[in-house]
Amino acid sequence: MSVLLSARGLRIAFGGLKAADGIDLDVMEGEFLAIIGPNGAGKTTFINMATGYLRPQAGSITYDGQPILGLKPRRIVKAGIARSFQLPQLFTEHTVLENAALAIAARAGPWAPLAPLLQRRFRAEAEELLDRFGLLPLADRRADALNEGARKLADIAMAVALKPRLLLMDEPTSGVASAEKMAVVETLTRVLRDSRVTAVFVEHDMEVVARFADRVAVWGQGKIMALGPPQQILNDPAVLRDVIGVAPVGDGAGTGKEGAHAAT
Amino acid sequence: MGDWLSQNGLLLGLATLDGLSYAAAVFMVAVGLNLVFGVLRILNIAHGSLYAIGGYAAASLSLFLSSRGLPEWLSLPALVVAAALVGVLLGPVIERLLLRRVEGQEPVLQLLVTFALFMVLEDLQKLVWGVQPVVSDTPVRLLGNVEIPFGADTIPFTAYQLFVLPGIALLTLVGLAWFLRRTLAGRMIVAVTEDREAARAMGIDAAKVTLLTFTAGAALAALGGALASPVASLVPGVGAQTIVLSFAVVATAGLGRVEGAAVTALLIGLGRAFAVYFEPELEVVVPYIIMVLVLLIRPQGLFGTPETRRI
Repeated sequence: MSVLLSARGLRIAFGGLKAADGIDLDVMEGEFLAIIGPNGAGKTTFINMATGYLRPQAGSITYDGQPILGLKPRRIVKAGIARSFQLPQLFTEHTVLENAALAIAARAGPWAPLAPLLQRRFRAEAEELLDRFGLLPLADRRADALNEGARKLADIAMAVALKPRLLLMDEPTSGVASAEKMAVVETLTRVLRDSRVTAVFVEHDMEVVARFADRVAVWGQGKIMALGPPQQILNDPAVLRDVIGVAPVGDGAGTGKEGAHAAT
Repeated sequence: MGDWLSQNGLLLGLATLDGLSYAAAVFMVAVGLNLVFGVLRILNIAHGSLYAIGGYAAASLSLFLSSRGLPEWLSLPALVVAAALVGVLLGPVIERLLLRRVEGQEPVLQLLVTFALFMVLEDLQKLVWGVQPVVSDTPVRLLGNVEIPFGADTIPFTAYQLFVLPGIALLTLVGLAWFLRRTLAGRMIVAVTEDREAARAMGIDAAKVTLLTFTAGAALAALGGALASPVASLVPGVGAQTIVLSFAVVATAGLGRVEGAAVTALLIGLGRAFAVYFEPELEVVVPYIIMVLVLLIRPQGLFGTPETRRI
């Protein structure tokens, strides 16, 4: 397995809070890497730095061997990195199908001003995409009329529509009812594995992490405190005490301070 | 009441027609302002100047055409051509050089910058067109008058104000609503308006969308001015009047729907026209009375939805 994304010596502080204080992290091609850690640790900050939304004060990030720091979010999307946000970013004035078609059209590049959004090639691809996520029956609903699980899936479907090689997800199951959670994760895993997308996701639900991740990185005090397969990390007494003790299983409501960083 | 009606029926009819044509011009300006605010989140005070410059440019072009002895009917398409030129020449320059630099910054700074631009453009107009009223009523003369039967009487009204002005406004309304709802480019504008960050995460070129939207908004303001130019003489200060009135329309309608701007422009246009005919001293305040009354009851405007998104 080759390294797809590589971070070296990342540093960033918000006031006195050191969100990243010398982060070294490699994401391997094809893996699902979970980032866990207490709220406000800097996990979302990492996604923001890797996608051009935030510039670290020091350090470097390379993707597929190329430095990407300083690139605009749109360039990074073009390079093959997509992201989803903690709160779904669906366009509520659009239907689910239109949302998907919009993402496909955005990837398709230059667009004629009067080309219809739901022209045949976009519609067909959008329907196929929604079908993979099991969302086809909801295609004509407005995005704000979905339940949280479907919304999360639709949101990630839009990121997948960009045909990324690497997908960074910020709490893909936060806010989803626990009964629905595993179904959402199953669908995600299946689609991402099928399309050979490498995934990094920030997660608070350890059950989801155990089920979904190939490797787990523990982010705390601005550093990677531990890194390894889930069965090892999730049974590590230090991790249990410092991370899972602070953010117990199921604390996925996502009012985390990282969200505030992302927004400011 | 019946007495009043029979005495004032004619005035009422005239006021309605005047209000309609006035509302048409105001709608063009307000809808452009609304679009631009949506993507840029900057209240562009200089938007009214684009209205004035559009009017001056249309009048100049029309006078130039007749000085060359070209056919008079050319003065009609000249209105649209002049507006498009103003939009395409000034829009990108203003957006790239000025507004882009203050995007996302303090609203006070943005207001000061667009206010400064407004002052500069205002003086530029005086420099180019002078302070004497500029009139070019070729399109109005060309189309002549229509006698509208009204009870036992007829109301003479210009065909230009009756058909061309409201017609083009209606065309703009339908065209814009269709464009924003059905086309790819339109949906991208709506997406950037709704959530710029998410649009960028999708790979939408928000900068390009903003530039094109601003240019279109500028062209719409200029078109409003161009369409009004044959029926109202152009004098310094017309831009200021227009921007204040469009603010009133946008605030009353609430941000968002194109149709909202249309209905509100109609409401305010008619309100003002009735004031002109029946209580002339109220002409200036009527639009704001309407605005205040609406905002007291619905602070988000007639057609706006309360903001629930995170900041």
